[in-house]
Amino acid sequence: MADKSLTVGIADMKMARGEGVLITYALGSCIGLCFHDPRLRLGALLHIMLPLNMEAGRKTPLKYADTGIRETLKQMEARGASRSRITVKIAGGAKMFEVAGGNLGNIGQRNVESVHAILKQENIRLLAEDVGGKVARTLLFDVASGQGCIRSYGRQDIIF
Amino acid sequence: MLESYDQLTSLEIDTLREIGSIGSGNAATALSQMLGREIRITLPEVRIMGYNEAIEWIGGPEAVTAGVLVRMSNQMNGIMLSVQKLEFVNIVLGSMLSKQATSYEELGELERSALVEVGNIMISTFINALTGLAGIKVNLTVPAFALDMQGAILTVPMAEYGGMSDYLMTIGGNFVCDGMHVPCHLLLSPDLRSLSFLLRKLGVADG
Repeated sequence: MADKSLTVGIADMKMARGEGVLITYALGSCIGLCFHDPRLRLGALLHIMLPLNMEAGRKTPLKYADTGIRETLKQMEARGASRSRITVKIAGGAKMFEVAGGNLGNIGQRNVESVHAILKQENIRLLAEDVGGKVARTLLFDVASGQGCIRSYGRQDIIF
Repeated sequence: MLESYDQLTSLEIDTLREIGSIGSGNAATALSQMLGREIRITLPEVRIMGYNEAIEWIGGPEAVTAGVLVRMSNQMNGIMLSVQKLEFVNIVLGSMLSKQATSYEELGELERSALVEVGNIMISTFINALTGLAGIKVNLTVPAFALDMQGAILTVPMAEYGGMSDYLMTIGGNFVCDGMHVPCHLLLSPDLRSLSFLLRKLGVADG
């Protein structure tokens, strides 16, 4: 599974077709989204950090759930993917620290809610998710099978 | 008013480095008294990094570390984070509890609370030095603790200010304990408005 792997950074997205593994490391409150078109065996992994894009210049669309999801769908469609076939699996949205005050605590939760809402608006099926809690997640996504694997510290790997 | 961390002038960066030096120096003294060992600081750094660069700088995303986090409010808003690698953890445990750990899995309740306390004292002394110097008031929350992948710990201040900036600014330094270099990152991440305010109070920002 590891011969052809691509790393996806924070506020970043990568695509692969046919075979290959996309990896994004240490998702805390951030969310990793695995987009998959099974017929084309086309997969994209997006790593977003915040729920809504309110930037004036919109220089970094991939940092936010709303613009990130739309940009990823656009790029997949440009490669021939069909919206009716695209499915999504998500992981992340944890709360790393229990601190009172500010919006520090609920960014993970807000990210999850925003991703749910945007996927619904865009009519994209959410197949599986592993979100919330207070554990960091590394997400691996195999584009051939559409299978994801979540690696955490002090917890068994989850295949989804 | 600053709009981005990369607008800081070299005079402002020097000032922040000085803050880092005084803050870390005070934190090292407090730690030294608590542990009964000689602890000094190395030259503190002010770094302005992109997200992915910051994670490489701290030593890769997946390595597990202990993090103690305190939130600042009142005249300055932001986050202060103490990232404690295993070498540092062992210095604390060795001095306070006469114990050593070969991995984070061995840390129980008592060991964790010792780390929280040490992190909290260092953060509080750092902030006390800063507020004394600038003549401002800052409130701190009770410390929160996490033991997990350091990439996820570091994204906490990034996500907090992610809407304002694509960069993370850290002010901090490492410690030298009994002649040995020990990585212990004390990271101060104020929001941009507070950073402007702080620099103005210190008399180096324009306007």
